[in-house]
Amino acid sequence: MRLNDCDPGFKHQVAAEPGGEGIRVCFGCAACSARCPVGANRPEYDPRRIIRAALLGRREEVLASPLIWLCSSCYTCGEVCPQGVRFTDVLTAIKNIAARAGHAPPSARITAELLAKQGRLLEVTEFENDKRAELGLPPVEQRPHDFQSILGLEPPPEGGEGEGA
Amino acid sequence: MNPAEIDTPVLIIGGGVAGLSAAVELSRRGLASTVVEREAAPGGRAGEFCCKAVAACARCGACRLGDLLAEAAARPEITLHTAALVTSAEQKDGLWTVELSPQPAGDDAPGPGAPLGERCSLTTGAVILAVGGQVFDPAGKSRFAHGRVEGVHSALELEAMLAMGAIGPGAMAPAKVAFIQCVGSRDAAGGRPWCSRVCCGYALRMARVIRHRLPETEVTFFHMDVQDYGRAWEEELPSLKEDIRFVRAMPGEVTAGEQGPRVVFAGPEGAPVSEGFDLVILSVGIGPPNGAGSLHELFGAAPDQDGFLAEEGPDGLFVAGAAAGPRSLNESITHAGLAASRAAARVGALLEAARG
Amino acid sequence: MPARVSLIWQEAPGLSGLDPAQVALAAGVELDDGGLVEAAVVTVAQERAPRGLQERLAGLPVSWLDLAAEIGGGGDAHRLARAATAVARAAGRAAKGTLPPVYAPQPAQSVLVAGAGLGALAAAWEAAALGHPVTLATPFGDAATPGADDDPQAVGLMAAQLPAQVELATECELIGLAGSAGGFSARLMGPQGESSQGFGAVFLAPPGELAPGCEIHGLNPELCVLASKLDPEDWQGPEDAWLHAAVLAGSAQAAPSYSFAAALEAALALAKRPRVQVSLFYTEARVAVPGAERLFRDCRAAGVLPMRVEPGGLEVRGGHTLAWFDPLLGEEITLEPAVAVMAEQSGAPRPAWLDNELTVKPWDLLVPENPRLAGGKTSRSGLYILGSLRGTAPGAPRRAEAAAATADMHARLTGRVVPMPAVRDQLCARCLSCVRACPHGVPQFVGFGIACSPAGCVACGICAAECPAEAIAPPGWGQPEMLAALEAALAVAPEPKMVLFACGQSGMPAASALSASGHQWPAGLVIFPLVCAGRTSQVLVTRALELGAKGVLTAGCHPGNCRSISGNLVAAAKLEMVQGMLAELGLDPEAVSFLPLASNQTRELAQAVEALAVKAEEA
Repeated sequence: MRLNDCDPGFKHQVAAEPGGEGIRVCFGCAACSARCPVGANRPEYDPRRIIRAALLGRREEVLASPLIWLCSSCYTCGEVCPQGVRFTDVLTAIKNIAARAGHAPPSARITAELLAKQGRLLEVTEFENDKRAELGLPPVEQRPHDFQSILGLEPPPEGGEGEGA
Repeated sequence: MNPAEIDTPVLIIGGGVAGLSAAVELSRRGLASTVVEREAAPGGRAGEFCCKAVAACARCGACRLGDLLAEAAARPEITLHTAALVTSAEQKDGLWTVELSPQPAGDDAPGPGAPLGERCSLTTGAVILAVGGQVFDPAGKSRFAHGRVEGVHSALELEAMLAMGAIGPGAMAPAKVAFIQCVGSRDAAGGRPWCSRVCCGYALRMARVIRHRLPETEVTFFHMDVQDYGRAWEEELPSLKEDIRFVRAMPGEVTAGEQGPRVVFAGPEGAPVSEGFDLVILSVGIGPPNGAGSLHELFGAAPDQDGFLAEEGPDGLFVAGAAAGPRSLNESITHAGLAASRAAARVGALLEAARG
Repeated sequence: MPARVSLIWQEAPGLSGLDPAQVALAAGVELDDGGLVEAAVVTVAQERAPRGLQERLAGLPVSWLDLAAEIGGGGDAHRLARAATAVARAAGRAAKGTLPPVYAPQPAQSVLVAGAGLGALAAAWEAAALGHPVTLATPFGDAATPGADDDPQAVGLMAAQLPAQVELATECELIGLAGSAGGFSARLMGPQGESSQGFGAVFLAPPGELAPGCEIHGLNPELCVLASKLDPEDWQGPEDAWLHAAVLAGSAQAAPSYSFAAALEAALALAKRPRVQVSLFYTEARVAVPGAERLFRDCRAAGVLPMRVEPGGLEVRGGHTLAWFDPLLGEEITLEPAVAVMAEQSGAPRPAWLDNELTVKPWDLLVPENPRLAGGKTSRSGLYILGSLRGTAPGAPRRAEAAAATADMHARLTGRVVPMPAVRDQLCARCLSCVRACPHGVPQFVGFGIACSPAGCVACGICAAECPAEAIAPPGWGQPEMLAALEAALAVAPEPKMVLFACGQSGMPAASALSASGHQWPAGLVIFPLVCAGRTSQVLVTRALELGAKGVLTAGCHPGNCRSISGNLVAAAKLEMVQGMLAELGLDPEAVSFLPLASNQTRELAQAVEALAVKAEEA
């Protein structure tokens, strides 16, 4: 790899995104990688390697990599980082750039659609609400409109499926 | 100012290697001094350190405390009050007036000096603060399981274990030992964005002592970077790297395994690895002196951005040793020479002004 | 004829319960009744004795004995026996020590500082402040010229404040040196030619020079800028592209922290320029100086890329391309930088005379990495080597080093009367064994005989141990006194008799600490304090065995920790010879041994003495 061909501006671009500020101070001490539960199951997923590639300015490679979408957002990495880098947030910044560049995987699109439609990832059916009723709990409120307005989406023409309050 | 008001030309607060060395250096310059030590015996931290010689001297400097105690005892210019606490300090007309009060001390502690009998007030031309640094409490990094998992010790505890002979043939013989570096150092997130300077040196020296006593024992050194420690140190590093397993990765945590502690770190492939050890040593760093806040208030000493005390404070206040920043024993002893020189110049100027 | 020895009892903590009369009787000496004294043993160290007593005994042969430190704990009978052996030993020495102590003539007070830069100026300033006339011999035309690794402003300030008693010799270099503390003879080469001058002490602090880095890396010199010469304003990227800068901060082998910090400052200044991408190459991030860890973080926050390479792992291709392997990404990276900033280590060339002059020890012995010689000291008393030449970091550490060295010099030249080895000229065979053996350079061959420098001696006694003719010894450490002391002590020691020769820097402090904590020594153990283990000799050890000792242990410092450089090694070598001799005679060679020890290794000493006692019991 020729460093002269990489994009030194990429790390600054990530740092300019909300949450991406910490990326530049990483020097690869590996504390995050030691605790990452995703890395424990998918050895090719190594937080410090992702940061390293981003710092070196391998923009296309990082943005197109399927690995950046694997983070479980448990924030353990940020908790152990001696430099106070919150890798989860850095990765969110990278994912936002990737999504804008059209690299979001289908699963991300589906997730976004579910959110837009339901206001949550999992659909709440009568099954769940019956169970809750048995335990004396109130039914779950479904308020997809709030979410849709936050996302700046038009409400679907027929209204939500939720019961509303 | 009237020179007759002076009870002692220089008052030294702290009777560790830096304070004792400052007193000896002043004495070499022909100046008397009074050393105030909070504990029942002088010596400070250095008294807890073990000799790290293997086939030859490892230049850790732990033995120099003995030299200093003997020299301080032999020099009549040096007065040493033990079990004494500074309760107030004020500066007027270029002189410091410092109040001391006795501390409850244990039974007869060995070593030179005598416990302070009663409250007293000393007027002096210069004050040298030689209160040392504060060793990081590993409880502050709970993920390394100190006090929670058996077999996890701080480096200070290891010093004592080696000194008492608790590790070696005929005693505890761990098959695998891990050192974790930078516990309480190089930790911006933990509010300690400085290198403690001495930990690589002491850890690798103690690792070598363990390997010397127990040649079968495997030692692993988890670190970020190996710091420098003088010329001879650079020459020794290559052979150390053959003797000890260097792993350049900051471990994420220490967990309790069935056989003992386990260190979780990023393996060469990137994925976390959990490896069992018999003994895990946390190389704790040096921080600003305990009570730096109150000393700062008492003497008006200026803390630097990390909380260590500036070498030269307001008129007639000087700082020696690890209170001014992390230092090895040898460095603290030499550093005290500078504070002594400055204090001597200060006292000389005061006397000159009084005369002229 | 041996003198009559009186025991002068001074109470001290640790002596309670002992009856002075009983001790005197058991040791075979008289208890002092305040009358006339010919020679004396006093039960406390000289510093602890009242002034009146010191005056009364002035000029007499006296053994000052820290008795409490030697007897240790145990029952009264045990303590009495040990007190008796210790007093008998001291009495033997006092009885023989009838030679008047030899004190040094007044040492020369003037000081030579040869060099330039912060360390040299600090030493000159400190020495002058202590009242010594100073000659500052600088290779430059003025005192304000800094070394390459100095802060020019600090040096300028210090040069402007030099006190009047500092005499400046410009364009002047030290080209030869002989002698020791209190009596150096220096050859100087100045604009007027060569001259020879006497000094009491010499500080050598040649100005630091930066080692150029380009050759090491094989980079085209046109690409390279030294960090100290870098002007960041010269660099910025073109409108639409990045300019790549490489900062080499100990990329071939790890740099010391201070030069790594200098590299960080250069990297940060460059990184703040528009469209400049800085890559920082290092083998270890050396941040062990104040502020460096913060600076390292600031660099990264400004966009500097940390590139850690293995030692020797950074390759140069075609003079312009850097290539290295990134283990994390598992591939090779190459970079063609527009500029390479070199932050290589500084140093100072060693003056040729240090290697050529036969009268100066080889460098490794002159400036060993010995903790007892920190603060600028060398093995040659009165010679101090400071700054770049020693590898001391620039700035505050150099000032501290100069301050510590100067205080040591002042104490040596003006301290209390210094004992000087007495040379009995009629016995001296001019074999020069003492000249070769003395680590401090005290005995010199002058004219037709041995003359001693007046302030260099620490009474280690290595000269006495080496002299085949008993012609030289520090006062009190001659063969006759020591043998008399040994005989007296072993005569009253109960069986099984054993001897511990204890070095004053390691064995003896450890033994004293054990005694103070109430340790019970074997009753038959004679603790024989020495200034340095190097004073033992085959004669002493074999004589101890002859006198009935079942075991002899010599406790000296660890190799590399001896204040007299090689006293411990010499002692160990001699004991090895005795062991060989014993083996040839069919005796147990293990009866004598050398124990390397530090003053805080009390447990090791107790164990070794215990093992000695077990062996002696069996023998």
